[in-house]
Amino acid sequence: MTAPVILAGLNHWFGPFHALKDIDLTIEAGEYVTLLGPSGCGKTTLLSVLGGFIDPSAGEVLIGGRDMTHVPPAKRPTTTMFQDYALFPHMSLRDNVGFGPRMAGMGRAARNARAEQLLGMVGLASEADKRPHELSGGQRQRVALARALAVEPDVLLLDEPLGALDLKLRRAMQDELKSIQRQVGTTFVHVTHDQEEAMAIADRIVVMNAGRIEDVGPPARVYRAPASLFAADFMGEMNHLPARITVEGVETPFGLIPQALPPTGRAVACLRPEAITLGEGQVRIGPARVRDAAFFGTHARAHLVPDATPDLTLVAHLPPGAMPAPGDSLDLSAAFDAFRIFPVKE
Amino acid sequence: MILRMLPWAYLLAAFVFIYLPVGTLVLFSFQEGSLPVPPFNGPSLRWYGDILGDDDLTGALLNSLLVAFGAASVSVVLGFLAAYGLARHVLPGSAVMRGLLIAPLTVSYLIVGLGLLIVITRAGLGLSLVTAAIGHVVINLPIAFAIIYASMGAQQQNAERAARDLGASEAQVIRLVTVPMLMPAIAAAFFLSVTLSWDEFIIAFLLTRFDVTLPVEIWSMLRSGLSPRLNAIGSLVFLVSVSVVLILELLVFRRRR
Repeated sequence: MTAPVILAGLNHWFGPFHALKDIDLTIEAGEYVTLLGPSGCGKTTLLSVLGGFIDPSAGEVLIGGRDMTHVPPAKRPTTTMFQDYALFPHMSLRDNVGFGPRMAGMGRAARNARAEQLLGMVGLASEADKRPHELSGGQRQRVALARALAVEPDVLLLDEPLGALDLKLRRAMQDELKSIQRQVGTTFVHVTHDQEEAMAIADRIVVMNAGRIEDVGPPARVYRAPASLFAADFMGEMNHLPARITVEGVETPFGLIPQALPPTGRAVACLRPEAITLGEGQVRIGPARVRDAAFFGTHARAHLVPDATPDLTLVAHLPPGAMPAPGDSLDLSAAFDAFRIFPVKE
Repeated sequence: MILRMLPWAYLLAAFVFIYLPVGTLVLFSFQEGSLPVPPFNGPSLRWYGDILGDDDLTGALLNSLLVAFGAASVSVVLGFLAAYGLARHVLPGSAVMRGLLIAPLTVSYLIVGLGLLIVITRAGLGLSLVTAAIGHVVINLPIAFAIIYASMGAQQQNAERAARDLGASEAQVIRLVTVPMLMPAIAAAFFLSVTLSWDEFIIAFLLTRFDVTLPVEIWSMLRSGLSPRLNAIGSLVFLVSVSVVLILELLVFRRRR
């Protein structure tokens, strides 16, 4: 089962603290959306509003076209997968997963069959009689997922579900979550502060900061063409260059970039580290001295000081084959469309 | 060498200090003669046969069990409800309420008993086992509340939230999640209440009349002088208390691991 979600004009205050500011968001049925942002940005508050654990101060929540703003969690077509999994320690895995169907009045045989089917889906069919404390972190996470899906929610809400897992397991679980979501077709809303996780898993990423939505879009778009400076910085490493928007284009320390923007004066030109290339290009950064470099497997990450701007240090991801040594001089450039320009409000 | 023996000697001395009186009591309950003093001339089960054939004593024993289990059940139910309410809901003046719930612990049993005696006689209610049980609820409720409240942590709260999210009503949340998760604390509170109520004397003495509990019966026997009968009763009381503690250990704390 699946349903679209519409959030309109949501605002929420915790006392004097404005936690959600004018949130408008539409999530399609069957979509995998991640809410991405630093801690305290309001992403978990937004999830709690969706799940019915927080009654928003203003605005409305529509799920499958019905107004759910003030409906308690038990009566919503949503289930939440909590950060600490919140499994019932005194029940077997079968009873944990069968809890939701039991509350819905399903008989013992039917709900055991349903629980075993879902445990099979997450690869724990043979562990149905175990208790949660006998499982590893990753297994508990799977049980929590099976338990949440057992009630066939229209929307599954995941609150930093992979936060407690080690990196390797987290990457494996991301793939699994995604494939299970494809299989069941339920709308997933997933909260995380890890931008790699968001990119790996989401159809669309919602970048949040200080209670506001900064950017919404598919991972590649949000990474390459972020809507705000905050989104640009949060999605990955970013070089900031001082710039100036004039009628002719954008003036940077490395020359003019032809972009038709309203001439608002001071601006920041952003350049991803991997967009800095060796040799000739549309924008010539020119010779730069290597301050230090480290080998990362897929690339060499170097700090470079261009001769043209001695007080600016650039971070570049260079091909890993030729490791630069500190003190080397490299000739650098970048393409016009690699730059993102954000006007600075004065 | 002496320094290494010293801690063991100290340990031995401490245990002798604690268990010598109990050991003596149990030993002389098997005395053949009619005075529980050395020399020991036994063993004999004469006095056990004597007390088990005494209807007053076995009646008092049953009364004690009834009062202990009744008072413990009521204390645990009330203590759990108070703890659940105070741990799960934001109430005005909850710190004061918690304080008031715990406060009876600091009042001497004599004062509690006297106060209840005045209230009950003024209200025209007769003294009975029920009034003694009420007195025991007064002293056991704060302990039950404190034990259960202390073990209500964030883990239960999250599980309760998950249960509600999966469609459970408040009653189902308490029955299927909260109580089972708190079972170790609830059982500990229950058995502690049982043992405290089981050998409580002052309140039972003040608040019973015709049907009395075992400690009150022992007290009235003591007035007619020492006898190995008392040792035998004491040994039985001790046996019951030890059994309760063992049950607690086996049922509750073993399972926790």
